[in-house]
Amino acid sequence: MSEYIVEMRGIKKSFGRVQALKGVDFSVGRNEIVGLLGDNGAGKSTLIKVLVGYYQPDEGEIYFEGQKVNFKSPWDSRALGIETVYQDLALVNLMPLWRNFFLGRELKRKIGPFKLIERNKMRRLALESLKDVGIFIRSPDETVAFMSGGERQAVAIARAIHFGAKLLILDEPTAALSVGETRKVLEHIVEAKKRGISVIFITHNIYHVYEVADRLVVLEHGEKIGEYEKKEVTPEQIMDIIASAAGVK
Amino acid sequence: MPNESKVSVKALPWFYRTKELGAIFGTLIFFVIFAIISEQFLTWSNLATTFTMAAELGIVTLGVTMLMISGEFDLSVGSVFAVVPMVMAIMINHGVNEWFAFVVAMLVGVGIGVANGLVTLKTSIPSFITTLGMKMFWRGILLAVTGGFPIILSHKVGLLKYFGGAVLKDLRYSAIWFIALSIVFWLVLERTQYGNWTFATGGNIGAARALGVPVMRVKLVNFVLSSTLAGFAGLTTFGRFKIVDPTLGQEMELEAIAAAVIGGNLLTGGYGSILGSFIGAVMIGMVRSGLVLAGAPGYWYRAFIGVILIVAAIINARIRKKVAG
Repeated sequence: MSEYIVEMRGIKKSFGRVQALKGVDFSVGRNEIVGLLGDNGAGKSTLIKVLVGYYQPDEGEIYFEGQKVNFKSPWDSRALGIETVYQDLALVNLMPLWRNFFLGRELKRKIGPFKLIERNKMRRLALESLKDVGIFIRSPDETVAFMSGGERQAVAIARAIHFGAKLLILDEPTAALSVGETRKVLEHIVEAKKRGISVIFITHNIYHVYEVADRLVVLEHGEKIGEYEKKEVTPEQIMDIIASAAGVK
Repeated sequence: MPNESKVSVKALPWFYRTKELGAIFGTLIFFVIFAIISEQFLTWSNLATTFTMAAELGIVTLGVTMLMISGEFDLSVGSVFAVVPMVMAIMINHGVNEWFAFVVAMLVGVGIGVANGLVTLKTSIPSFITTLGMKMFWRGILLAVTGGFPIILSHKVGLLKYFGGAVLKDLRYSAIWFIALSIVFWLVLERTQYGNWTFATGGNIGAARALGVPVMRVKLVNFVLSSTLAGFAGLTTFGRFKIVDPTLGQEMELEAIAAAVIGGNLLTGGYGSILGSFIGAVMIGMVRSGLVLAGAPGYWYRAFIGVILIVAAIINARIRKKVAG
């Protein structure tokens, strides 16, 4: 068993003449929360998209649980337990909660030659697994449009836990949230860690991730410019590193 | 319990969650009004004829609904409604076997759907434009090929009975097809994975893609469904008249969209129901025959539908706000 759940070595990725990643090493330990920081355009999203198989790297290797992997699509990485929650792409607002919860992984049963979805089972399971992480909802038939941003993040995290994620990737989970909601989402992240899940927390706001992270990785212009155990640094130092790398003194 | 973050979602009365609420009430109101105004309205003959007419529009509406929920338009259905029976009629008049002619004609319908889908999805041009172009193209071909004259069958075709022939006096096979297809597509939309994907694709295409839904394939299939059902609906009308006019189905695309919107479907996708579209088509058919029976000149029909459409859209928008924020 490798000590890392995921390890990326020397990842390079270019789009035309733009070098988005210039040989990045990035790893996440088991049961660890890693804050992935950097200004807009630093390469955070590209790195994650390479990791989950949305893009294929030009150079470099990816290991998942010690095995070399070569994901052709996000489907492949999800099958191994890598779940990504994108900021605006987590849920479909007009759809009921239970349909959202099982989207892409609907439970089906065969009736003759046809496969129908098991609606009542999905309704029940969605409520149960939300309750399990401390979210109470009266009816699984409510559309998620009524929920606040924090609640939607919580539902997406609960969904990842329910489907047995080993590595949870959160893309700016707290970007548009109020202070109170941010706190709740952080609690859900800690809860995920308690269940043995590793987390990559992408953000450009160090104050959001600092509280829960074990380790902090800073990207800038497609390169890793810093990697720190949380104990070693203060949020202010990280802010200075990001700002000076971006040319803002 | 770990952290007790409470989500305060208010439980709404059940009837608000019924997407077809507005359409059901509207249809009932018109039904009562027409029954009071005209003595003939409540006769079997009128109800059967009304439902048959509604069925021909309704079959088109089913496909348009699936496509609309997945976030796309099909303005070419009216032209396909004429092209498919025209292909069948011309082939039969040239001595081709009626079953073979039927299969080829339906494949033309499928093919137009594939073309609509591929052009729209590969080029990222709005489907409003690609299918508008397709509508004009095929209408032009129809007029060019026929010289503007209707095609009349040269001999009796037994197969046509099963599309638009009589079942029970004034009730025709088209009505049976409409009910059967409505049940099938209701099941597909509400009870299958594909239905869930159709809602998700139209509701938030990015989220659907991120969760592994093959959104392009979903849209393509719905383009094909829309076109195929429109072609089949054209055959039911053909079965009724035994004649194909090159102007058949003109403006039908707009009536189908109107029926879908009256039925509570959201024009921008992600929300709607087959039952709603069923009721929307029935309402349009009923208003058409009811106005005639009430002695109003035929021209009033469009004006009336126009008003209903706008009122329905306003009411449905209010309901949706309660249901879906």
